[in-house]
Amino acid sequence: MLRQPLSRALALSSPARVAPLAARRYADAVPAQPEKVEVFIDDQPVHVLPGTTVLQAAAQVGVEIPRFCYHERLAVAGNCRMCLVEVEKSPKPVAACAMPVMKGMRVKTNSDLTRKAREGVMEFLLVNHPLDCPICDQGGECDLQDQSMAFGSDRSRFTDIHFSGKRAVEDKDVGPLIKTIMTRCIHCTRCIRFASEVAGVDDFGTTGRGTEMQVGTYVEKMFLSELSGNIIDLCPVGALTSKPYSFAARPWETRRIDSVDVLDPLGSNIVVATRTNEVLRILPRTNEEINEEWLSDKSRFACDGLKRQRLVTPMLKDSRGNLAPVEWEDAVVAAARALRDCPPDKLLAVAGGLADAEALVALKDLLNRLGSEHVCTEHYFPTQGAGTDLRSSYLLNTKIANVEDADFVLLIGTNTRFEAPLLNARIRKAFIHKETDVALVGPKVDLTYEYTHVGDSASIVKDFASGTSSHEVMKRLQQAKRPVVILGADQLKSEEGPALLAYTQELAHKLQENLQDKEWKVLNVLQRTASQVAALDIGYQPGVGQALAAGPKVVYLLGADSGVVTRESLPEDVTIIYQGHHGDVGASIADIVLPGAAYTEKRATYVNAEGRAQQTLVAVSPPGKAREDWKIIRALSEVLGAGLPYDTLDEVRDRLSQVSPALVAYGDVQPNNYFAQARALAQSLQKPVSGKLDVQLKQLEDFFMTDAISRASPTMAKCVQAVLKQKNSPY
Amino acid sequence: MSFFLKRTAGAAANLGRAVLNNSRPAMVQCVATKTDQAAPQVETRPTVAKVDPLQKAQLVDFGKYIAECLPKFVQKVQLTAGNELEVLIPPDAVLPVLSFLKDHHSAQFANLIDIAGMDVPSRPNRFELIYNLLSLRYNARIRVKTYTDELTPVDSACDIFKAANWYEREIWDMYGVFFANHPDLRRILTDYGFEGHPFRKDFPLSGYVEVRYDDEQKRVVVEPLELAQEFRRFELSAPWEQFPNFRGNPAAEEVTNPGDDKPKQ
Amino acid sequence: MAGTGRETVRAAIRQVRPIMSTDFWEARRRALGLYKAFYRYIPYIVKYFDIPKTENDCRWKIREYFYKNACVTDIRVIDLLVLKGYMELKEITHSWSQKGHIMAYWQPTVERKPCDFICKFLTGVD
Repeated sequence: MLRQPLSRALALSSPARVAPLAARRYADAVPAQPEKVEVFIDDQPVHVLPGTTVLQAAAQVGVEIPRFCYHERLAVAGNCRMCLVEVEKSPKPVAACAMPVMKGMRVKTNSDLTRKAREGVMEFLLVNHPLDCPICDQGGECDLQDQSMAFGSDRSRFTDIHFSGKRAVEDKDVGPLIKTIMTRCIHCTRCIRFASEVAGVDDFGTTGRGTEMQVGTYVEKMFLSELSGNIIDLCPVGALTSKPYSFAARPWETRRIDSVDVLDPLGSNIVVATRTNEVLRILPRTNEEINEEWLSDKSRFACDGLKRQRLVTPMLKDSRGNLAPVEWEDAVVAAARALRDCPPDKLLAVAGGLADAEALVALKDLLNRLGSEHVCTEHYFPTQGAGTDLRSSYLLNTKIANVEDADFVLLIGTNTRFEAPLLNARIRKAFIHKETDVALVGPKVDLTYEYTHVGDSASIVKDFASGTSSHEVMKRLQQAKRPVVILGADQLKSEEGPALLAYTQELAHKLQENLQDKEWKVLNVLQRTASQVAALDIGYQPGVGQALAAGPKVVYLLGADSGVVTRESLPEDVTIIYQGHHGDVGASIADIVLPGAAYTEKRATYVNAEGRAQQTLVAVSPPGKAREDWKIIRALSEVLGAGLPYDTLDEVRDRLSQVSPALVAYGDVQPNNYFAQARALAQSLQKPVSGKLDVQLKQLEDFFMTDAISRASPTMAKCVQAVLKQKNSPY
Repeated sequence: MSFFLKRTAGAAANLGRAVLNNSRPAMVQCVATKTDQAAPQVETRPTVAKVDPLQKAQLVDFGKYIAECLPKFVQKVQLTAGNELEVLIPPDAVLPVLSFLKDHHSAQFANLIDIAGMDVPSRPNRFELIYNLLSLRYNARIRVKTYTDELTPVDSACDIFKAANWYEREIWDMYGVFFANHPDLRRILTDYGFEGHPFRKDFPLSGYVEVRYDDEQKRVVVEPLELAQEFRRFELSAPWEQFPNFRGNPAAEEVTNPGDDKPKQ
Repeated sequence: MAGTGRETVRAAIRQVRPIMSTDFWEARRRALGLYKAFYRYIPYIVKYFDIPKTENDCRWKIREYFYKNACVTDIRVIDLLVLKGYMELKEITHSWSQKGHIMAYWQPTVERKPCDFICKFLTGVD
């Protein structure tokens, strides 16, 4: 459960929301600010914009008005009545969440009338609420519990003299993630509003009236959304709780560590709740510039994959070809011998999608010391033209938060809904609240909002870039004041990738030329993994194709689990060293296995798709003999006699800042430029294209298992099963 | 000078009579003229401690009297919880103020009930020393507060109050405040060889070392602490304001502050 | 600038109440006095407490403990350490502390932590 005071509410929903990024300046004039009105909250004067609600005005002077249905990121419903306050000269108490302020209004948030109103509301809520707090998972973080303590009456008038029992409601089955105990529901409708406004799945609603009112899906149906977990946080009572976390722990006994998610490229901010060295659950942490306060289901629920399929001890292949557990000394010495005996040009290191920047830089330094330059990432990016030299060519330059302000979004070969769910939520937010239009080039997928499907041929991009297209989208793009073009990095793998990138750069450049707002960035490339941007920043070569063709003798896999390196693609006598945290694709082909730490077990730097460096913190210690990744490489270097010059994390970070200061500027994102240069360098690559664009993640069932952690997660497996089952259901 | 001789018992009797005669307004008025304050509300809630206005007025007067008698030493006089008088003094004033309170005819705080310490690391003088005194003669209590840091010694009150001996040893042991001229300053609660002062805020709850009997060595050994189980810390925060009634209420009300008055002269 | 300069000077010459010594040499003399007092008591420690250490071991231990604070220059800190030292000596001379307390200075049962990177890595200690 994510609970915060309301002090930020006003900033979120005032009409002229000033973005957190101060650099955002638009050419079109901001409408003049209307005059502020003065209101009095408990006799404290406060000046607020007209249209502000009483609840938000009170939050400005630090008075938290109790509430259940109001949520600052959802539409106002005004149906719980908990926020009733007394307003002078008003005959009845008014609902603070729905009442706009009026000039000179005097609000009393702690008067006798207000307290009595709250007590009454609370009494009615509790009459229909079971007294099962001891077995309720929300206990300790329950708004109803807290508020009945703070604002409720100290005695009950509920006497069940006829033994008819309290109101009871049948539980609903909405999938393997959300446990419903609908008797506890107080009908705040936050989940309904979230599903229809943010998630874009209109399945939830209410049926019946009065005592018969129920929240649910009417017919039994899974909540088919990649953001479904957020309704657990939103639910103010224990009606919707987390199924994998059920009966696991109480919130006051868990330890919460701020961290960063690495299962998608956006780097959502998370809080890892742990107890007794075990990750119990993952909750979102508010970051307005990335994930607001939402989190995708994979990031939230894949944490049980951190306990399964783990590599807990170093392993060596024995004489019979089986991996056998050994001590660290033996494994490190074996790995060092393999590396030393290999000619430098036959060395190859491949970094996977979950590698952190510290390990990446250590591995690159190690290979460079051994005289090799073959350090690659799993995902390809065209190296022709400007290649990865210009940071702007492989980043999400518009930035996630700014996508909200776009007036036209063109998606090329990407399914943002599953590749970056929270970016998609932003686009949806813009689509709903700002009338942004969206067009898609690529296979037709369900993005949860309407869009113009232009086709799935790469040549459409070429036509857009050259301006020869007569499609309506072309016109809309040219008229747009703040267009955004997002290119999926997966499309660049194919032969035509360089040309596609060149055309996209050309198109973005042409659009940008015509903009009045020179600060606005048009070109975006959406990477697929959390490590790719950091790896490219550090100087890794994207893609392994060429390096594999050269026939390496020793391959060092740093968490490379996506299956691009296989035994078949390598010579017979190759030695594969795998360093990582899960026994997945990479470890299964390895000769030497070095167990590393997962993202909850190390303090490590990750750079998200925007180019924003963020760090994870140690929530639990690595299991068994697993060690932090950069330390393994550092130890290896010492055994090799090519000791890397850093012993502590701070020294590694100094090295990172030498490579690029952006890698250690935590929370910050640098504005990118040199779009024109990148486009000029790529102009020669504009060759005819004829292929079709295809995306890997088309359906919800594809979304859940994409990396080593989520493949090991039983919850994610259940999700896939449930989605497939839902597909066969008549509803 | 004789105002304090009005016995508290007499005050209670007055109050009882006032309540019996149901003459509440008159009593409130009498207090109002005495302290020049607005009429205080009569507390009717059964769970809230009642403050006797007469006793409070006497305490205020006595507080002002101390401040007048010892202008060099008293920094501030305040009332907490309605009827607890506190005198705030600098560390060098401990001896004069305590001997004044003990020996003055209309004070006679002859019993030192307790000396307490308090550590607030954010303050420039992080330790606070609190002397609780009792006057059996007037059935009154007073609290004297002073401050110091890790290195500044405070004069020992042993010459005035014999009872101070062990209390000061306890504060030395728990906080590391050094008392000058103490007859026998040494540890009182911790084990011989114990390092550190456990009541300091920067001393971890679990301590640094653990002690066990070692069978091989045939004696007790001291080893660095290793917790077999994770140290449990409970988070009990809620976004809702739990006690809105206490919002912005100061803990203490000021009786007199000579430091503020001086520049006017 | 002048203002801040004056501030620093004032901070530097801020009148502090001495614990015992008024200058560094006096404090040093007191520290040496404590050292001598401990040194002279060594034979009795070895004799009375029946510890498996020689007089020479004790001398080195006392040296070690004094050298641990060799870098202290603040007079009041030195004084406080000396006072604590005398208290400790008193505990020993009065036989308030026992064999275990004396032996705790050597910590024979405590395993040394690895200090270089590769040892730390192999043992998994940070």
